Amino acid sequence: MRDVSLRFGKGEFVFLTGPSGAGKTTLLRLLFAAEQPSEGQIVVLGRNIARLRASAIPALRRRVGVVFQDFKLLQRRTVEENVALALEVVGTPRREARAKVFAVLKQLGLQHRRYHHPLSLSGGEQQRVALARALVNEPEILLADEPTGNLDPGLTLEIMDLIASAATRGTTVIVATHELEIVRRYGKRAVRLEAGCVTEDSLDGRVRA
Amino acid sequence: MSRLRVRLGYLVRTSLSGLRTSPVTTAVSVVTIGVSLVLVGAFALLLANMEELLGRFGDDLQVTAYLADGLTPEQIQELVRIAHMVEGVQGARIVSKREALERFRAGVGRGSALLEGLGENPLPASLELTLAPQHRSPAGMARVVGSLQGLAGVTELASGQDWVEGYLRALALLRGIGWGLGLILALATLLIVANTIRLAVFARRDELEILALVGASRAFVNGPFLLEGLLQGAFAGVLALALLYALFRLVLPGFEFGLELLLGGVAPRFFAPQEMAALLTGGAALGLVGSAAALAGGGRA
Repeated sequence: MRDVSLRFGKGEFVFLTGPSGAGKTTLLRLLFAAEQPSEGQIVVLGRNIARLRASAIPALRRRVGVVFQDFKLLQRRTVEENVALALEVVGTPRREARAKVFAVLKQLGLQHRRYHHPLSLSGGEQQRVALARALVNEPEILLADEPTGNLDPGLTLEIMDLIASAATRGTTVIVATHELEIVRRYGKRAVRLEAGCVTEDSLDGRVRA
Repeated sequence: MSRLRVRLGYLVRTSLSGLRTSPVTTAVSVVTIGVSLVLVGAFALLLANMEELLGRFGDDLQVTAYLADGLTPEQIQELVRIAHMVEGVQGARIVSKREALERFRAGVGRGSALLEGLGENPLPASLELTLAPQHRSPAGMARVVGSLQGLAGVTELASGQDWVEGYLRALALLRGIGWGLGLILALATLLIVANTIRLAVFARRDELEILALVGASRAFVNGPFLLEGLLQGAFAGVLALALLYALFRLVLPGFEFGLELLLGGVAPRFFAPQEMAALLTGGAALGLVGSAAALAGGGRA
C-alpha cells in the first residue's frame, strides 16, 4: 500500500471497495496487526501498529472483532463453543460466558442452534456464528473481509444488516467488499482502493465501479 | 481467581484432548521417551549400586601394619600410641601371631589340616588400623601408609588402596559412559517430542489461527502444547519406572554371577523414592523442553 492516509471515527460505518488485489484485505490485516507496515504509522485504539510489540497484539485484538468470507469456524466445536472461544481467551468465567454467548446468539437469531456444529448450518447461519464470535466481547472495532462473499443475495442483506447494527451501538465497522450494490444500498462512507492506493473516499457510498 | 481457573481449565482440557485425538503419535512418543529413560535409568541404577558398595566397603577400609617378630608388649603398645597420633587413624587393634593363625585356619577351612605340620607359627603379629570416615579414600589410606612407613618394628604395610583406586576408575568410566549415553538419548528424545508437538501444532493450525484472531496470548496458545509435552514425558517416566522394576525383579536374578563380580555379593537395591521422583521429573522436563523447542520462534500473526 502507498500514500494511504485515512481516519475512521468512533461508531463510523465504512466500506473498503475496489477490484481484487486492490489492497482491501491488506489494509484490514494491517488494522488488526496481522501484518506490520514497512513505513508510516497506523494508530488503532491509540496504539501504533508499526511499533507494537508482538506481546501487545493479543490485547489489541480483544478490542477488535474480525469476520472473514470463509467464516473460520471450528467444525469440531458447537456453535456455543465457537462463540465462547473469544471469551475463554480472556478468562471469562464459564457461567458468565454462557450468558453472554446466549445473549449474542439471541441477538443474531441463532440461540436455537447453539448446540449444533457449524457443518449442520447454512452459510448464512455460519457467518452469523462468526459474527457472534466477533461481537461477543463487545469490540470497539469490527472488521469484516468480504463477509457476504459466500452467501446468497438474500442472506447477504441479512448479514449486512446485522453488521450495520453493530455501528449503531457505537462500534466502528469497516467492511471490505467488492460488491458495489451493497455499498450503494447503505449509502455510507466508502473508500475505493486500487493497486494499494486510495482513489476515492466518498461519504455517501457513491464510488465508481 | 475465577479467570485463572478458566484459563487453567482450558489448559488442562485442551492438552488432554490433544493427547486423546492423536493416540498413535502420543503412544509412539511416550514409548520412545520411556525406552530412553529405561536405558539411562538402568545405568543410573547400576552406578547407584556400585557407589553404595564402595560406601559399604569404605566402612571396612583399613591399613594393616605387620610387625617384626620378637617385639615386646611395651614396644607394640608404643607402636599403637604412635599409630593413634597419625592423622586419619581412628583406631588400632593388635592381632597377635596366634590370632593371625586362627584366622588363617578359619579362612582355609578343610585345608587347615595342612597347617598341623607347621612347627612354628610363620604368621606375623599386626596392627589393624581403622580410618576416620573422612579419610576412607585411596588418598587417606596413602597418607596413613606414608606416615607409618619406615617405623621401627613395622616390616610391611598393606591396604586396599589399589583395589579401591581401580574400582573408582571403573566407576568414573561408567559414569562418563552414562552421561554420554544420557546426553545422546536426551537429544534424540527432545527431537522426538519436538516433532510430535510440531505435528500437533500442524493438526490444530486452524484453531490456533482463530485463537490468535480473538486475542489469545502466546502463553494461552502454547500452554496446552507445553503441558502435552510435559505429560508425555511424565507418562514415559512412569512407564520407564515400571519397566525397570520389572527388569529388576524378573531379569536381574538371572545374572547373579555378573552381579557378584560388580557388586561383590551386596544385594542390589532399586531406586529410592527421591531417585524415582528424579527420573519422573527428568522425563517431564525432557517433554517440556522438547515441546518448547517445537514452539520456539512462533510468528506475529
